[in-house]
Amino acid sequence: MFWRIKNIIIAIVLAGLMLTEIAGCSNSERTVNKDNESSKPVVISLEGGDWGYPTPFSHYSRGPGVFKMTLIFDSLLERGEKGYIPWLAEKWDISKDGLEYTFTLKENVKWHDGEPMTAEDVKFSFEYFAKHPPVSNDLTVDGKSFIKSVEVVDAKTVHIKVEKPLAIILGKIGNARIIPKHIWEKVDDPRKFNTPEAVIGTGPFVLKDYRKEQGAYKYEAFKDFWGPKPKVDILQFIPVSDSVLAFDKGEIDITGITPDILSKYEGNREYKVMKNPAFWGYRLIFNMEKRAELKDKEIRKAFAYAIDKNELVEKVARKAAVPGSAGYLPVDHIWYNKGVKNYQFNIDKAKALLKGRKMSFNLLIGNSNAEIRIAELLKISLAKAGIEINVKSVDMKTRDAAVKKGNYEIVLTGHGGWGNDADLLRTMYAKEKTSNQSPSADGIPGYSNEQINELCKLQLIEMDPAKRKDIIFKLQELIAEEIPQIPLYNTTGYIVYRPYKYDGWKYMFDHHEVTHNKLSYLDVK
Amino acid sequence: MEYIKYKRGHSSDIQRGTSCKGVSNNIIKKFSITGKIGITIVFLFLLIGIFSNCISLHPYNVPSGSSLESPSLVHWLGTDDLGIDLWAQICFGARVSIMVGFGTALLAGLGGSLIGIFSGYFGGLTDKVIMRLTDMMIVLPDLPVMIVLGAFFGPSVRNIIIVLALFSWTAPARIVRSKVISVKEEKYVTAAKSYGANFWHLTIRHFLPNILPIVMVSIIQLVSRAIVAEAGLAFLGLGDPTSKSWGLVLNHAINFRGIYFTDYWKWWVVSPIAAITLLVTAMAFIGRDVEKIVNSKI
Repeated sequence: MFWRIKNIIIAIVLAGLMLTEIAGCSNSERTVNKDNESSKPVVISLEGGDWGYPTPFSHYSRGPGVFKMTLIFDSLLERGEKGYIPWLAEKWDISKDGLEYTFTLKENVKWHDGEPMTAEDVKFSFEYFAKHPPVSNDLTVDGKSFIKSVEVVDAKTVHIKVEKPLAIILGKIGNARIIPKHIWEKVDDPRKFNTPEAVIGTGPFVLKDYRKEQGAYKYEAFKDFWGPKPKVDILQFIPVSDSVLAFDKGEIDITGITPDILSKYEGNREYKVMKNPAFWGYRLIFNMEKRAELKDKEIRKAFAYAIDKNELVEKVARKAAVPGSAGYLPVDHIWYNKGVKNYQFNIDKAKALLKGRKMSFNLLIGNSNAEIRIAELLKISLAKAGIEINVKSVDMKTRDAAVKKGNYEIVLTGHGGWGNDADLLRTMYAKEKTSNQSPSADGIPGYSNEQINELCKLQLIEMDPAKRKDIIFKLQELIAEEIPQIPLYNTTGYIVYRPYKYDGWKYMFDHHEVTHNKLSYLDVK
Repeated sequence: MEYIKYKRGHSSDIQRGTSCKGVSNNIIKKFSITGKIGITIVFLFLLIGIFSNCISLHPYNVPSGSSLESPSLVHWLGTDDLGIDLWAQICFGARVSIMVGFGTALLAGLGGSLIGIFSGYFGGLTDKVIMRLTDMMIVLPDLPVMIVLGAFFGPSVRNIIIVLALFSWTAPARIVRSKVISVKEEKYVTAAKSYGANFWHLTIRHFLPNILPIVMVSIIQLVSRAIVAEAGLAFLGLGDPTSKSWGLVLNHAINFRGIYFTDYWKWWVVSPIAAITLLVTAMAFIGRDVEKIVNSKI
C-alpha cells in the first residue's frame, strides 16, 4: 500500500518539476523574442469594463470612460507631466484684461476620416457644447457658460471672448474636446448619436471595436496623427475577472496591486512598480436636505472624531493611502494646506459633542469590496459614539445616480480628480446646479456657508497665483472647521508592469492613473 | 439533532401505524460508519452554531486583532483584513448556514408535502394545476431567478430562506403526491373512508405516517442544497451583508486584491470552504443512510 502511495508522490513531483522546467524555458524564449522582433506591432491589453460609447456625450462619467473618449478626441491643450502643454493649439495669447484668448492651431491636423481640422471646428465645438452639454462640461461656471463669443480669425486662428476674467479659464478652454463640424452639425440629439461616425476625432487612436456586453474595446493607432508618433499600435480592453491573476498570466499589461504583494514584484527586473499620487479618494457626503440635524456643525464634528481614518488606511487600503484632509485638498495637491484642523480619532470627544443624543442614519454605499469594508468599520466605530448606521449597498452606477439626485442620507463615494485645480473646492462646497455629470462635481445638498461662498468667488477672480493660493489656504481652514463632508482617505496604490513589453507609462500632473494619460501611448519625451 | 428527535418521534408514529412495523427504535444503530460520522459532524456544527458566543474567544463582528494575522493560539484561524477573528466568524456562520439550511428544508419540505397531499388526494383539476406549476418551477433556472428575487426583496436571512424555499418545494411535493396516490388505494384507507373519515383524519392517521420517511429523505437533501445556495448567493454579494455567513467570508476573501499571491488565502479562503464542504458532505452521508433505511423498510 505504502510503496504505491510513494510511487504516486514521486510521479507527481517529477511531473511538477518537468512542468516548471518547460515554463522556465518558454519564459526565457519569450524575452528573447521580444527583443529581436521589434517590427512586430505593439499590442497593449488593459482591463476592460463597459464605460459607455466613447463620444463626448455618451461615455460614462468616470475616469475610465473619460479617458477612452480622450484617446479619440483631442483638446486645445493637453495635460502633461508638469502642467498644460500645447496640443491642438500651438500657442496662445491672453489679453491683459483676461477677457480675450487667441489660440493658434497646429497645421496639418486631420480628422480620422481624412478631412482637415480647422478653426471652424473649434468654433463649432464650443457653440455646440453650449447647446448640448457634454458629459464632462468644462465650459461652464456655476451652470452658466463663461464664453461670450468665438470668432474664426483665419483657418488656424481662433479668438475667444469670455464674460469675466477668471483664474481657471485657460485650463477649462484647453480641456474642452474638439469635435468635427462636418459630422456633428447634422446631429440634434448627441446622446443618441452612436454610429461609427460619432467616434471620429483627431486623436492618436481610432476605435475599431466596441462590445458593450463584454466591456471590450479595441483601438488602433491613427496613421495620419498630426502629433507625436503613437508607440502603441493596438490598444485593447479585455474582460478579466481578477486583474492581478490576469496580469500574472500576461493577459493584461498593467495592474494595480496592494502592498501585500509588492514584494513579489519589487526588486524583480522583469517588473517595474510605480506609486500613484493620492488623487483618488473616498468621501462621506452628508445630505442636509434629507436630514436637517446634519446642519448642526457639532454633529458633523462628532462624525469626524468618531471615524478612525488611520484604521481605514491600514485595513481597507492596506496602508496604500493617506488619510483625507478635512480641508479636502489631499497631501499631494500643490496647494494642500497642512495647517488645517485635524480630527484625531477620539470617541470621547465625539460623545461629548453629541451630548448623549442617539442617532440613526442610512448609509448608501457601492458594492465594491473596499466600500463594504469601509462601511463595516464606520459602523463599528460610529456605534461606539452612539451613532447607528444602517448600511445599504447598491451597484456603483445606482449609487452614482443617487449621489447626482441627492437621494441618500449619507453616502460613501469614491472618485478621482482630487488633484485638479483648487477651484474644485467651489464646485464641491459652494456650487449651484451644474450640468457636469462627473461624480467629483457633486455638491453637498442643503449646505451653504456665506464665508465659504465668498472665498470661493474670490479665488475664482483672483488672477495672481500667489494671492489665490492664500485664499485657497484660508478656504481649506474654513472647510476643515465646518466639515460639511468627510474626506476619508486618498489612495496611493501601486501599479506594476513589464518594462520589456512596454515602458511608456507616465502620469499627468494632476491625475492618479497612468493608463488614463494619452501621452503614455505616444512617443513624447 | 432536531432531525434525529424528529426521526425518533416519527418512527414511533410508524410503529403505531400499519405499514412499516420493523423500524427500530434506535435508528442510529442502522447507520453506517459514514452516516455516524455525518451525524457527529452535523451535531458538532449545531453546537458550534448555538454556543458560538461561548466557543469563540473573540467577537465575530468587531476587530480583535491586527489585520490578516496568521493562525495562532490567540486567533485559531487567524484574522481577516479588518482584524476580525475568523474562528468567531466561522462559528457564527454555522448558525446562519444551519438556520438557512434547516429553515429552508423544513419550510419547503412541509409546504411541499402539504401541496403533494392535496394534489394526490383530490386528483383531477387540482392535481393538474399543481403538477403543471411544479413543472414550471422545475424548468425555471433557479440560480438566476434567485439572484433576481434576492436583489428584489433585499438581502436578509429571512428573505433568503423564503426565496430558497420557493424553489425547493417541488421535489417533496412530487414524491409525496405519488405516495399519496398509491396509499389512497389501499384497502384500509378505503375502509376508513367508507366509515366517514374526512380528508384531515386520513391525512393525520394514514398519509403522514406513510410519507414521513420519504419526506425526511428529501428534507435532508434539501438542507445541503440550501446551505450551498445561501453560500453561493452570499458569495455573489446578494446575501445579507451583515450576516457574516460563510459565503460572505469567502466573498470578502476572494475579492481581496491579489489574495492568491499572498499567504492569506491559506486561512481566509480555506476555512469557509472547509466549513461548507464539511457540513454539506456530512448532510450527504446522513441523507444516503436515511434513504437506504427508508427504502429497505417500506
